[in-house]
Amino acid sequence: MNTASTTATRTIDFKAAARALLPAGASYDACLSCGLCSAGCPASGLEGMDPRRFVRMAMLGMNEELSTTPWVWTCTQCQRCKYVCPMSIDVAVLVGLARGAWPNEKKPSGIVRSCEAQLRFPGTSAMGLQKEDFVETVEETVASVRGQGDRFARLEAPIDKQGAHFFVNQNSREPATEPEEMGPLWKIFDYVGADWTYSSTGWAAENFCMFTGDDAAWRKMVEQRVAAVNRLGCKVWLNTECGHSFYTVWKGVERFGLKADFEAGSLVSYYAQWIREGRLPVNAAWNTQGIKFTVQDPCQLVRKSLGDTMADDIRYVARTLVGEENFIDMAPSRSANYCCGGGGGFLQAGMKERRWAYGKRKFDQIAATRADYVLTPCHNCHSQIEDLGHHFKGGYRVVHFWTLICLSLGILGANERKYLGPELARLGL
Amino acid sequence: MGAQATRGGKVYETEVLIVGGGATGTGVMRDLALRGIHCLLIDRRDLNAGASGGNHGLLHSGGRYVLGDADTAAECRREGGILKALAPECIDACGGLFVAVEGDDPEIAARFPERCRAAGIECSPVTPAEARELEPCLSEKVYAAYAVPDATVDPFRITLENVNHARQLTQSLFLAHTELERFVIEGAAIRSALCRDTRSGEAITIHARQVVNAAGAWAMQVARMAGCSSVRLLYSKGTLIISNARIGRRVLNRLRAPGDGDILVPGGTVSLLGTTSATVQSLEDIHPSVAEVDRLVAEGLAMVPEIAHTRFIRAFSGVRPLLMASGAEADGRKASRGFSLFDHESEGLANFATVAGGKLTTFRLMAEKTGDLVARRLGNSAPCKTGTTPLPSGDAIRWTEPGFAPRYWAARREPGDLILCECEMVPTSAIDSIVENAPGAQSQMSLNAIAVRSRVGKGSCQGAFCSLRVTSHLYDRQVYDSPEGLRNTRDFVAQRFKGVAPVAWGEHLPQLELAEALHCALLGLDQLADDRVVDDGAQQARDGTQDR
Repeated sequence: MNTASTTATRTIDFKAAARALLPAGASYDACLSCGLCSAGCPASGLEGMDPRRFVRMAMLGMNEELSTTPWVWTCTQCQRCKYVCPMSIDVAVLVGLARGAWPNEKKPSGIVRSCEAQLRFPGTSAMGLQKEDFVETVEETVASVRGQGDRFARLEAPIDKQGAHFFVNQNSREPATEPEEMGPLWKIFDYVGADWTYSSTGWAAENFCMFTGDDAAWRKMVEQRVAAVNRLGCKVWLNTECGHSFYTVWKGVERFGLKADFEAGSLVSYYAQWIREGRLPVNAAWNTQGIKFTVQDPCQLVRKSLGDTMADDIRYVARTLVGEENFIDMAPSRSANYCCGGGGGFLQAGMKERRWAYGKRKFDQIAATRADYVLTPCHNCHSQIEDLGHHFKGGYRVVHFWTLICLSLGILGANERKYLGPELARLGL
Repeated sequence: MGAQATRGGKVYETEVLIVGGGATGTGVMRDLALRGIHCLLIDRRDLNAGASGGNHGLLHSGGRYVLGDADTAAECRREGGILKALAPECIDACGGLFVAVEGDDPEIAARFPERCRAAGIECSPVTPAEARELEPCLSEKVYAAYAVPDATVDPFRITLENVNHARQLTQSLFLAHTELERFVIEGAAIRSALCRDTRSGEAITIHARQVVNAAGAWAMQVARMAGCSSVRLLYSKGTLIISNARIGRRVLNRLRAPGDGDILVPGGTVSLLGTTSATVQSLEDIHPSVAEVDRLVAEGLAMVPEIAHTRFIRAFSGVRPLLMASGAEADGRKASRGFSLFDHESEGLANFATVAGGKLTTFRLMAEKTGDLVARRLGNSAPCKTGTTPLPSGDAIRWTEPGFAPRYWAARREPGDLILCECEMVPTSAIDSIVENAPGAQSQMSLNAIAVRSRVGKGSCQGAFCSLRVTSHLYDRQVYDSPEGLRNTRDFVAQRFKGVAPVAWGEHLPQLELAEALHCALLGLDQLADDRVVDDGAQQARDGTQDR
């Protein structure tokens, strides 16, 4: 409740900062004013800004305007501008810098509070979930899954298992609000016989500190998580179906020069690998109704980090699960995909109208596919696309990969179908 | 005083005809209007088409001339002070530094402060470390530095304000693309000037009581048309290059004998590196060459090393009209930067005057002396008021200042006011006000004319996009209603290209490729049929000189 803050926003010299932070030949000097960035930016027009304008205003020395424009909180730093830029200019880097220069009390409080919560306890949960709560919820949910039948009687969700192959992180949303959604994931691990563990520290799969623009906080968060993985001696840090939590660690290790004794992996790549190896024998036989699916490529997982290899894996898994003829891609997609508007902390920023305006482009893209479901391995995409569907009255549903995998394998419990429609509510039970 | 159509085209009556729409001609126009006198100003092309548009916009403290020309130095100091007081909106009082770098003659550096004192120019020594703190772009090899009160002036805005003020005062008129063909002389007087509208081909006759020749580099030719051979000019071509973004805060002068690449002048949001000097014999086909640009960069980086990696977006050339003095034939840099007023009375004319030479900084003084002569001849005893009357601004004449449009747009927050030129953030409202009301506004106004009155085409894309957007807007507004508009676009981008070609390297090269793809491959502007009898754009291309 800071109504009379006197703290001024620090004014950044954007032109100089761009020169310092961006590679030679891809700095703001190189801008051709072609506008490819703006044409493909869902935030274009919000607050009278767009990426090209941001670059030009920097070159024209309009540092005060850029230091104070709320546009930086509507840009999700999705880097589509950089991807299509013929000169590869990265606007998002300076958007992050501008965010960081805002006084904390003027930043969108939802993002700031989420970051503060993460810094408060060693679990690094943005929802403030403490170790005891997490461990207890996991144990209770394990008991509940085991209760589903003999098939899962020996299912485990280890915590702090030293030397496990996979260190699996966990988005706070499930343990905090829908623990039954953890079940399908564990069932998959159980099915393929994965050697995995959760951790009681650094387990959370969200990082709003990066979105505050506070590099020190971002670094601290990544350090805690890297230390947690190193501590357990795991070979692979396996990121759950989430985009930005992968990016923050993957990028953070490089950016802050941290020593990580493990490799970073995305769950979807492993789904693809396990399917190819025959360990996860999924197919589309269940989809007798010809239900149509599309996928949303999480910017953080595809364009910003693993690239089209990741997009290929997402499609391979999706096509196998729903049937080739039932998969309809959005256009554009893969690394050229539009951000849905759920990233960058936008969902937590309390700027609903602008977030919807931003997301309209995504909604239209989805509507054009006429898909019944949107599959996306990202929690922020999931929430935003679901919200867009409600707001713009789209008839689609949004679903996690783990739900369909278990559905296909015939192991999806009755209480694990929250995101499925009535036509699938009883299938295979 | 207005125009009347006759069989021979339009006829105008005025008290004073002024030939040449540069700083001097427009300065004379305003000077006389402030004395209540009606003027008609004509230019073969447009405002600032010669040296008044082809310069670095330095408002000299005088420091640059203390070593060789103390009188000009002192004159610059006085006039600079007047302009700063009366036209602050046209001035960036950014200050200047004179710096000597290793290899520069220490004698010259040592003499500099004393010479400044002699000319009455403020000059304070700063240590090399302080200089680099003030201007981090300066070379580590700077060994001596002095701060002087240099400033910059927007040469386009000041001429626009001159013309606009004269229009307000006495309904004085400016006619663009009006070429003088010959004078009708009877006895000791020019009775009329026979001109032609180079766009329409229409004949124009102007009856005037007095004629002022302020044609800049063309003043010698105009004087000869009146049978006067006393005006003798040396043509000194100077080339400058413009960076994509402002480099230094202040004017940075190299403290050495004048040479290429020894001055870096901020122009609002950009910087201008100048200036070459080469004597030329003809005013035809003046354009910047790659060799000149290379020299500027090679010399400039000794003072400001980052010039080696700076993106330059445009080169342009102007011709300095220097008064011929003995010994000056060989070297334009040594010729006087002073000016002369010729009354031509010894050549048998009582109503003709030529004002020639001089500098942008001293245009007001040139206009004052000319105004005194012309007013006296007209029996007008009103004193000159340009030394005390502030220049008024106006809606249609404030768009030339680099950085103004973006600030205006950002402060106004009017989402409906679409930006047409993205590089310089020129909004639709600016174009509308220029087309409606800027001095020299005309039907089917060309993009070149709009560019002289705004920042359209001056940014990094050099017209690649704004040319198309502004043209589309003008068609939407029905300012254009024929293929003429498209030809205007073609002429405009062809004109910009001439300035871009010599700096086509590095980061700027892709920009040209993109422009070519847009203008030729996509729109086929190069294939555009040209059925005009008189081609304004082609005329400009032949003239060669370019504004910035």
